Order: sequence, then C-alpha cells, then structure tokens
Amino acid sequence: MLKNYLKIAWRNLLKNKIFTLANIVGLTCAFAVAILLTMTALFELSYDQFHENKDSAYQLYLSNQTPRGPEISVSNPVPLAPALKEEVAGIKHIARSVSEDVLITYNSKELSLDAEYVDPSFFDIFTYPTLMGNSKNPLPNNNSVGITEKGAKKIFGTTDNVIGKTVSLKIGREEQPFTIASVLKDAPSNSSVDFEIVVPFETHPEYLSSKDRWDSQFHPIYLQLEKEVTVAQFEKNTIPFTALHYKGGIESDIRDGAVPDADGRYKQFHLMPITDRHFASYTTGAAKVDRVFPLMILGIAFVIIFIVSANFINMNIALGEKRLKEIGMRKTLGAIKKQLFFQFWLESLFVFALSLLMGMVISNLLLNPFKTLFNTKASFADVIQPGVVILFGLAIFIVTLIAGGYPALLMSKLGTLRALKGKMEVGKNRLRNSLIVLQFAIAILLITGTLVLHGQIEFMRNKDLGYNKEQVISIPLNGKKNGYSVVELLRDELKNNPDVLSVSGADNNLGKGRDGSLSSSMMGFDYKGRGVVTNALTVDFDYAKTLDLQLVAGRMFNRDFATDSLSLVINESMAKQLGEEDPLSITIPMDDNVTYSVIGVVKDYNFQDISRKIQPLTLFMNKDWDLYYAYVKVAPKNIAKSFDAIKDAWEKVEPQAEFLGSFLDENVDRTFKREKTMATIITSGSILGILLSCIGLFAISMLVVAQRTKEIGVRKVVGASVSSVALLLTKDFLKLVGIAFVIATPIAWYFLNEWLQNYASHVSLSPLFFIGAGLLATFIAFVTVGTRTVKAASANPVKSLRTE
Amino acid sequence: MLLQLNNIFKWVNSGGQRIFLLKDINLEVEEGEFISIMGPSGSGKSTLLNVIGMLDAFDEGEYNFLDESVHDLKEKHRANLYKEYIGFVFQSYHLLDELTVQENLEMPLIYKKFKGSERKAMVADMLDRFSIVGKKDLFPAQLSGGQQQLVGIARALISNPKLILADEPTGNLNSKQGEEIMELFKQLNEEGVTIIQVTHSEKNAEYGSRIINLLDGRMV
Repeated sequence: MLKNYLKIAWRNLLKNKIFTLANIVGLTCAFAVAILLTMTALFELSYDQFHENKDSAYQLYLSNQTPRGPEISVSNPVPLAPALKEEVAGIKHIARSVSEDVLITYNSKELSLDAEYVDPSFFDIFTYPTLMGNSKNPLPNNNSVGITEKGAKKIFGTTDNVIGKTVSLKIGREEQPFTIASVLKDAPSNSSVDFEIVVPFETHPEYLSSKDRWDSQFHPIYLQLEKEVTVAQFEKNTIPFTALHYKGGIESDIRDGAVPDADGRYKQFHLMPITDRHFASYTTGAAKVDRVFPLMILGIAFVIIFIVSANFINMNIALGEKRLKEIGMRKTLGAIKKQLFFQFWLESLFVFALSLLMGMVISNLLLNPFKTLFNTKASFADVIQPGVVILFGLAIFIVTLIAGGYPALLMSKLGTLRALKGKMEVGKNRLRNSLIVLQFAIAILLITGTLVLHGQIEFMRNKDLGYNKEQVISIPLNGKKNGYSVVELLRDELKNNPDVLSVSGADNNLGKGRDGSLSSSMMGFDYKGRGVVTNALTVDFDYAKTLDLQLVAGRMFNRDFATDSLSLVINESMAKQLGEEDPLSITIPMDDNVTYSVIGVVKDYNFQDISRKIQPLTLFMNKDWDLYYAYVKVAPKNIAKSFDAIKDAWEKVEPQAEFLGSFLDENVDRTFKREKTMATIITSGSILGILLSCIGLFAISMLVVAQRTKEIGVRKVVGASVSSVALLLTKDFLKLVGIAFVIATPIAWYFLNEWLQNYASHVSLSPLFFIGAGLLATFIAFVTVGTRTVKAASANPVKSLRTE
Repeated sequence: MLLQLNNIFKWVNSGGQRIFLLKDINLEVEEGEFISIMGPSGSGKSTLLNVIGMLDAFDEGEYNFLDESVHDLKEKHRANLYKEYIGFVFQSYHLLDELTVQENLEMPLIYKKFKGSERKAMVADMLDRFSIVGKKDLFPAQLSGGQQQLVGIARALISNPKLILADEPTGNLNSKQGEEIMELFKQLNEEGVTIIQVTHSEKNAEYGSRIINLLDGRMV
C-alpha cells in the first residue's frame, strides 16, 4: 500500500510541476534560512552557558541613586573585592578582572595581545581549562602569565614547549619579564570574555596606585556564591558593608539632592547572573536583560516557516480540487477516511522531507557567506546538542503534521458523491484568505521594520556629529613610545606633505577604531558645594583644529601659553552643568590642591556612541599623561595617497607596531555594527518573506483564475471588457493586502516606536514609512496576481466556455 | 434475495419546500437479475442507483442488503459491505489518471488488503479475461473511450462482486463501442453477476431482464 501511495504521490508531484516546484523551492529556501537563523539565535542564547558554575556565578554591579537619577556602575575600586570577601558572608570565590591590550615582546618580536588581568580565583569561578601547565591555578605567582593557544601561535608560532619561556610585557611605561606558566584552551566563541593572554591582576599598571583608593574605579568583579546562599540573601548581606565603605559618596549624594530608591537606600550592590551578562545593559539606570535580538531572529525563522507552511496549505487545498475524482473513486473502492488521510499526509511528508534535506544541504553550503554577512561566529558544532536536535525535529514534525495534515484531513472528510461530482465544500476560502492576509501582514511588518531600520542607520550616519569625520584619520598608538612624542614625531614627518592639514592626539578614540577598543573615562569633583561628574579627555595641541570642533568661547590649548597644563577646555554641556554665566571665569580646584582654570568652551560634539546623549566633557592637556590615539586631518583631494603617506610616516616612527589607522567615518560606522547586522537580518527576512508570499499568491491566483474560467467566459460574452475582468479578479487579492496593511501598521508602529526609544536622537516615525511599506506590498501583490489575471481576462471566451 | 428496498423516500429542502428526489420506492432484486432503470433527466435514476450503492443516504424507508439492514449501519460498516459486494461502473469511467491500467485494476485489492502476490495473480487474470494484457502499462489517457470503460468494468469485477452498478456505462461511447460493452454485461450476467444499470437508450435497456421506469422520483 505504501508503495502505491508513494507512486501516486510521485506522479502527482510530477503532474503539477509548477506547484511542486513552487512548494519545494519555497520550503527548501525557508528551511535553509530557518536553520541558519535558528543556529544564530541559539548561538547567541548559548553565551556563557559553558561555565560549569553558571548557576552560582555572577557579575557584581552597584546601583547608585545620584542627583542626576539612578545610575548603574559595573566598574569597581581595587580594594572592594578583598573587602567584600572579608566582610560579607556567602562568597565562595571572588575575582577582579580587566580586559586590555598588552604589548608583548619575545626575542625582538613585538605585538599586541588581548589580555585579561585577573585574580587567581577567576579560574575557580569560570571554566577556562588549561591544556598544559598548572590546571588548578594557571597563574601561580605574580611573575607568571597564562597564554591561550591562539596567543601562543601568534607570538611563538607553536604551542609546544612554551611553558617556562620568558616574555616581556609593557606594563604602564615599563617592560617587565614574565614566565609562561600555562597554556589555556582558547575561550569558546560564545564566551563574553575573550582573551589571548591572562596576566595577574596585581601587576596591572593601575594596581599599585589604586590599591587603597575607593574613588578610582576601573574593573568589573565576578563572584561565585556559596551553594546555600541566594542572591537576595547576599544583596541583603551587603547593606551594612555599603553603608560603611561608601559613606562619603552617599553623604554627598544626599547633599546634592539624590532621591533614595524604593527601599530607602542610595547605593545597593546587585548580582547579574553570568548567563545574562551578554544580554545586560545598564544605560537606563537599571539593569536590563534583553534577549530581543536572538528572539527576534528566532521569530523571523518562525515567520518564514509559517509563510511557506501557509503556502503549502493553500496550494494543497486548492490542488485538492483537482483530485476530488480520485478521492471519490477511492472511496467507492472501499478506502476509509484514515487511509485517505494517511495517503495525503504521506505525500506532504514526502515533500517536506525532501525540502528539509535540501534545506540542510544548502544551509551547510551557505554557512560561511552567512557568517560573514550576519557577522556571527555561530557554527553547527556550537548548537548541535541532543536536546536542540530533538526540539528542532519535533518542531519540524509538528509543522509537517499541521501543514500537511490539514489539507489531508479536509480531503479525507469529503463525502463520496460530492467528491465524485468534483465539488468541494464552499466557504473554505475563508481559511485561504486569512492565511494570505497573515502572510502579507507579516511581510508589511518586515518591510516597515526594514525601512525604519535603514532610516535610522542613515540618520545616524548622516547626522552632524559636531566634528569632521570624512577627512580625519585616527591611529591607535600601539607602539612602545610615549604618546605625546609619537604625535610630535608624526607631525614632524608629515609637515612637508601639503595634503596633511593638521596632526593632533588624544587618549580616547572617536567611534570604534580597528583596534576594536571602546573606553570612557569619568571623573567627579565638588564644585561650589555640588558634586559634578564629567567625562575626561586628554588631548594634544591642535585638537580642535584637526577635528574641526567649533569654539563657542575662549581659546583652545596653545603652544604660546606655558601654563596650559593647568588649563581646561569644556564642552557646552559641562558649562551648563557648572552653571556659571561666564564659563571662562571658572576655576576648579582638583586633587593635590592643583587649581585648573577654564580657558575655552567647545560646541557639543558626539564624543561617544551616537545612541547616547552628549554628556559633559572636560579636555585636559598634560604632557605627563599619555595619549593613545593620533588624529591626522588630510585635504579632501588625494585622500588615498595621503593615507599611504601617513602609513609610511607611521612605519618610520613606530617600525615595530602595526598601523591600525582608519577614517573616523569608518569608526563611526563600526559603532552601529549591531544595527547594521539587525538591518541585514530584517532586510533579508523581509525579502525572503515577500518572495515566499508571492510564490504562494501566484499559485493561488493561478488556481482561482482556473476555477473562475467559466465565469470569466460568461462575463465576456455578455460584454465585459478585458480591463474590467482583470480588475475584478485582481481586486479580491488587493483587498486582502489592504486588510493586512490595516492589521500590520499599528503593530509595526508600536514595536518600532519602542525600539527607537533606545536612541537619544532618532528619525521621526513618519507615516511615510508605513505608507511606503503598504504601497510596496500592494505593488508586489499587484504584479504577482496581475500577470495571471490579465492573461485570463484576455483569453477567448468561446474557448473558456468550452472547457466546461 | 440480494437486496430489498421498502418505502424509500429521499428529499431536499429548497426554499421552505420539500422536493422529493425519491418517493416511496419499493424494489426487490434477486441474484442473477439484470435490471435497467430508465426515465427522463431528473427523474431520480442516478439517485436510486447511488442509494442502492450506499454512496448516498435516504431519509425514510428500509434497505436490506443480504439480510443486513443498511439503514442501521455505521459508515464504516457500510463501506465494508459495498467494498465486499458491489462494483461500480461510471459514465465517465473514473479511472485514476496517474495510474496505469494494471495499477488501476490493483487498487480495489489494496483496500481489501490482499497480499502483493495474490494481487498480481488476480490482476493478470483480469487482464487476460478482457484481452488487455498488451495495454497494462498504458495510462488511461492513452486509451480510447471504449477501452477505458473496459478497464473500468474490469476494475469493478476484480474483487468478485455480487452486484455491478452501472450509471450510463455507454453514455460517453459511440454506438459500436456501446454495443460491445453491453454484450460484455450480458455475458457477465450469464456468468451469474447481478447487474443494475441506468440508461437512456431503449436499445441498451433491452439487454436487461427487467426494466424499471422512474418519473419524478416515483416508480411507474
């Protein structure tokens, strides 16, 4: 019997070539894409799940009630971790950790490695196993470092016999020798902490100077709780600790008008589960764990499967009409409902299995381009676990059961005589229409999302950031020389090049450079009895000139003034915060009884991520401090040539260090990589969604036209014109798109509005986005359906009537 | 007695009115009979045939088939009954286009759960009997109308039914092909198969041993 079913199924599939092709192509694409998207989403969700202690490991954060509102800080002072361990019950292990690049030298080979400065218990909390060397404690003393396979290959070219070798690291301004004590496995790609070398925390350049300082905060803290201790208990345990150690801060916050939280406290330690860390954001003043991105990807995968399933159901029901005779005949020959259901379901199963198989092959082939395009490190190996595979199999089975089973059920239920006469129950179009409406609602939703997302990206890209990003190159100063002297040397090298307009430097980058590092530096002080917080930036001469910053008042740092190391330039936000009528009269006493005076005010510019509001900023110029980035402004012409000239100059100045210079507009683009990835996913999702919906619509329009051949013939015989008939047929479909538009628009508006709230400045959600999406969907539907209907309408009526 | 219809009524409600399709039909059929049902279009011929074939339900009356009360049976049992004892022949043949002659013949046997080897033997027998061995691998579309109807009858006969129900079996055929089919029916009848046919043609009706005339759902 099975053989007979398969034979019939195969021949039927061959007979309805167009529909079979439409179904199989659609399902294959959908499965391939759904597999890739699911993989990406599962990979994202698997972040930090590999730690054996993931259920008891946490990151510490402090919520502060400040005069400016609630703020969250994950940066902690150096003495905090030992004090916590000493004074607060419930901590099993606690570790400090800082991610930084470090310059490593071995034999005359010099390169920069991604380093993690950690306390030894870091390895008790987290699962980063060693390959060679001491597995219990990869960092036995403060003269040893652990290196990963990747790092070892970079510096030694091999992982063999590297234990015991001595390398030197540039710690602060000095080079120090360290012994390789262990080789670690590379951190998994779904680890939110990635490193190539681990260095003892106590050798960090800031460690000694900050050892007993509670006001200098620069590193995160991770901890593992004792088994029987809950998060709530721990947080409660920290209350007296906080009151004691943060007394000064709390008092000045109260003085400046901070409002306590619901529990009446000003500072409270909290724990973020380590598995939530990748999804946590603290920008709004509260810890927010947000898995929207992976869930959205899963959602798109689901939606795509839904669209093809809807196509499959629609086409199979419509095609069933052609098979009514067969159903009837089989019934008169003694087939019972169950047998018919099984037969038709088997046919669906066959198509699904075939498509799934091809989908798997295609997703495998597309894996690499997909990873590049969507900027993910996901791989099948990371995702394929028994549980996931079973779940995925179950999902596919359910989809097959519903999409394949529903038409089968419908057909097997038909009465024998009805089937023989070739009449299907009327009213079944309701399901078909609802499915089409849903498909198009989804398509419109995705199109709107695509338009708004691209709108926002364009908005951010074209926004005037307040500085010149097209003509300025920033170069990370990753060599051994002191920053100020490198900038000076570069200035010297480039001074005869007419295309190089100006050279300067700062201790922070604008946007995200090719070194991939983002940092911010904040400081606070009391000004006239109020606490003031500002971002701090150390710069070199010509900073404003190089970046085309506009001065609102006063002047920039100038070589002609010897005292400029005690001068400050502030931005407008800072001036507003200080609240003086004449900002140039401000003098600020800072630590060590040094008094700085403000000499200029620059117009606000986006020195941080564009999604953020412009915060107060203070510029310093002190040759005793360091610069980490050089900025070079070039003339608008010969840009490529100037870039090469700068590279050459760099190689003369820092022959050992790699040149990582890039234009600021590239840097800015890099900061919204996430948005771009999201845009790529949504755009491809909506294109695929539309395409698949159109395949379905096309097939349905073909069938509907075939069903109404007689009606078309009659209408034409009594005098209807081609255009009126075509309009009549098309109208029905466009009505469905209209309903879809009405359903989709409010939903799209709601979600996009929510999403745009994440950006301090964003595009306005103009109706044009929605109208555009609606028109686009209508146009696509019109083209899809129109070709069939016009053809049917212009056919000779005599011919169409004869077929009856 | 093969089957018995007592006071069978069938109606539909249309616009508040009850329209009778069959009205007080009483009929007894003995094994070995060859009955022709005649009447103008819309007189209820096909409906009566469908009721006898258990493809269609009736609203009132009793129907006994081989001592089973059909009106009391559930659908599944009814299906078993007609699967076992009744073969259908249609005006438009109703062969499955996707299956070859051989496979079309095999299909009823599949639903009766015959084994593969038995099915093969029975199909081969039937092909032989109707001299269509050479056509066994052709699809219906490759045959003439007469040949298709031949296959249709062979399919109806393959599971050895007691009763063949034929709804205008020659309606789509030319006169020569029609005559051949009627000759075949006559021969089958002589071999012991009971046949009930619906026909428009006086000439074809003459092949039967008894003629039933219907008018507006009534026997006249």
